[in-house]
Amino acid sequence: MSRNRDLLSKIGLRLDGRRPDELRRIRCKLGVFTEPDGSAYLEQGLTKVLAAVYGPHQVRGGRSKAQHDTAIINCQFSMAVFSTTDRKKRPRGDRKSTELSMHLQQALEAVIKSELYPWSQIDVYVEVLHADGGIYTACVNAATLALIDAGIPLKEYVCACTASLANNDVPMIDISHQEEIIGGPTLTVAALPMSGKIVLMEMSQRFHMDHLEKVLNKALQGCKDIRQILDEAVRLHVRDIGSSTGWANTS
Amino acid sequence: MPLDHKRINGPDETLPYSLFAKQSTPSWNQIFKELQKEGKRSDARGFLDHRKVFLKTGIVSQAKGSAYIELDNSKVIVSVFDPHEIPNRQDYSLKGEIYCEFKFAPFSCKKRRLHQKDNEENQYSAIMKQALESTVCRHEFPNFQVDIYALVLHNDGSCLSAAITAAGIALSHAGVPMYDIITSVTLGIQKDMILLDPNVLEQSLCSGPILDDTKNSDHGIVVISILNNHNQISQFYQSGMISLEKLNQTVELLQKACSDLVPLIQKCLVKHVIKTLKSSGEG
Amino acid sequence: MSLCEAEKTFVLHGVEENFRLDGREREDYRPMELETDIVLHAFGSARLRLANTDVLVAVKIEIDVPFPERSKEGKLEFFVDCSANATPDFEGRGGEDLAVEIANTLSSAYRSKHAFDLTKLCILKGKKCWKVYVDILLLECGGNLFDAVSLAVKAALWNTQVPKVHGVNIDGNNIELNVSEELYDCDRLDVKNAPVMVTVCKIGEKCIVDPSVAEEQCSVGSIVVAVSGDKFSTVLQTGTGSLHPATLMESLKLGHRVAQRLDEALWATLRQIKPGQDVGFLK
Repeated sequence: MSRNRDLLSKIGLRLDGRRPDELRRIRCKLGVFTEPDGSAYLEQGLTKVLAAVYGPHQVRGGRSKAQHDTAIINCQFSMAVFSTTDRKKRPRGDRKSTELSMHLQQALEAVIKSELYPWSQIDVYVEVLHADGGIYTACVNAATLALIDAGIPLKEYVCACTASLANNDVPMIDISHQEEIIGGPTLTVAALPMSGKIVLMEMSQRFHMDHLEKVLNKALQGCKDIRQILDEAVRLHVRDIGSSTGWANTS
Repeated sequence: MPLDHKRINGPDETLPYSLFAKQSTPSWNQIFKELQKEGKRSDARGFLDHRKVFLKTGIVSQAKGSAYIELDNSKVIVSVFDPHEIPNRQDYSLKGEIYCEFKFAPFSCKKRRLHQKDNEENQYSAIMKQALESTVCRHEFPNFQVDIYALVLHNDGSCLSAAITAAGIALSHAGVPMYDIITSVTLGIQKDMILLDPNVLEQSLCSGPILDDTKNSDHGIVVISILNNHNQISQFYQSGMISLEKLNQTVELLQKACSDLVPLIQKCLVKHVIKTLKSSGEG
Repeated sequence: MSLCEAEKTFVLHGVEENFRLDGREREDYRPMELETDIVLHAFGSARLRLANTDVLVAVKIEIDVPFPERSKEGKLEFFVDCSANATPDFEGRGGEDLAVEIANTLSSAYRSKHAFDLTKLCILKGKKCWKVYVDILLLECGGNLFDAVSLAVKAALWNTQVPKVHGVNIDGNNIELNVSEELYDCDRLDVKNAPVMVTVCKIGEKCIVDPSVAEEQCSVGSIVVAVSGDKFSTVLQTGTGSLHPATLMESLKLGHRVAQRLDEALWATLRQIKPGQDVGFLK
């Protein structure tokens, strides 16, 4: 491997100057739109995602799809045509978007208390405005915030994080686009950080079995860190909303 | 857009040879000056004369109603099909729907048109729908849809207007309840010249400015559809660059041109009724 | 949103009294927010928020070959994407009809040479030109989409920086462009005459601009006018109703007047924008 392709420099810094277990800056905001029941905007490094939640509402498109004991979670992932360096032809409908929609649905089905809403449907739409690696993780995190903003009961936060292995030895988290193209394996984990459960795990390329535990632990640690950040944002949001309404002062 | 290679197995992109032929085509400027000098158009019409119209109903036997219209070389067939339930629709709609499809036949223009609908055809379909929606009594067939297909056999300008006028006739031929007779006329503007019912050459003359100076450089196409007895404009579309005063003037001209077409349509419909009565009397 | 008859009457009475639901007069706009340089990957971008309507526009530039029939011109293409974030109805292909309508209207409004000069996008006649993609993302629909989109498009094009081409090397059929390496060595597009669209809605007997969603529901017909400089570059009738010629002229006049005011306001805002301001959804 040539020198300039190293993911980690000799002094242990990554291409963008981060340490191996350092996340990119996450900034987020709840309630960016008024039309949806819940919405959120999340920036993870340069990756920017908008999420909107509609529902729970009556099942659209034929009653036959409705379930008597649970709500249907309907997800759509879409990427703005200008989100990547090369202009995309279509915002959605290609194989990658369909796959990501399905993965998002899997992750969210694990946390939403859907048994509380029989015969109904919850729509989650995510729109990527700027893609710079870790699209899926940003979508999951934004969708969690939007669900909280919509007031839909969740078992706990669901957070996602990517991890990789640099120089065949050092695990690092939150892979950027630059690091993605240089190569190296990428492990994507969506987890429930409080109970430590994994709801989705996906891996591309290979590394030795022995490294898996190490990398997985790092990714889980990343999920926990992200939860911390999201939790703070939610608390801030609730405080702002609460104080502006006088904490529902009834006296 | 992907091509249907099973049906059309030719190269994806082809060009008309005339672009590369070294012929001395007169510039737009020359054509314009010629027109101005002559005071009349290439087919000896005055600037504000409509072309002769030929109308016929019942041209497509499979369709519930159909009409054929000829404006000299512009030839359009419109067919209307029975109302049927709106596909992929969950909620009940109180008013019926209209579906319009405007299509140029592959051989209708100088350049070969593809079988797929392109942007221009999509836009014309939408304009046609807009024109007919306020003409048809849509409350008479709730939750149903009427399909209207317009096919241009030969494009010599003002095709959209021809299609809308013919669609009105085809709808009445099909027995779809309507508020009024609808007529549509196109008009082109270049500088001070106003050309009613332009042919394809005049249409492209009007679609761009011939001089660079921005003052007094009005140019454009105006399409209007009017319900004559009610004096209502059901559709209005303009493109190009036209000042407010000019537009005012054109609307008045177009109103008159539209009302001139009404007797022709009435005659055509009466002819159809007489023919039907005769044939049923015999049978 | 669907309104019952009583609610519609309430809106209508407000319009008659020149005191609309949100306290505006008939010719007033709702508050707008404009930001530019919001998409990093694009050559120019803008986000416009008009009350609850949210539009994000990004401009991308690629090198392409000009159309053989218009060898001296570059290309301009509009693409509208209705995000499902705006309403669940847009999921999948649900928003496509609206998207095509907006894109077609935009390209019709920009077609005239006096509105937007495509010849400036040509690099080498018949061989190389810039292709400008204007991608419009509708994030939230709070009524009056056309106006919001046209303003955002104009702002994004104003913001667009086209890399300078220093020279062209021709070697047989190979053409090499010598594009400036300097990041800030760019040309701006000329958008002085880029059209601004205004939707004029007829409610009851009166015409209003900038309708909210509730007001759009109450209107029987509306006119979208695109005004460039002091001339109309496109007029399109939307909605299902028809209009009296006098109403049409009245709404054209109103649209013309309001569009010029809107254009002035846009330029005043654009001049105020300083580079490096904090922008985005976090604000």
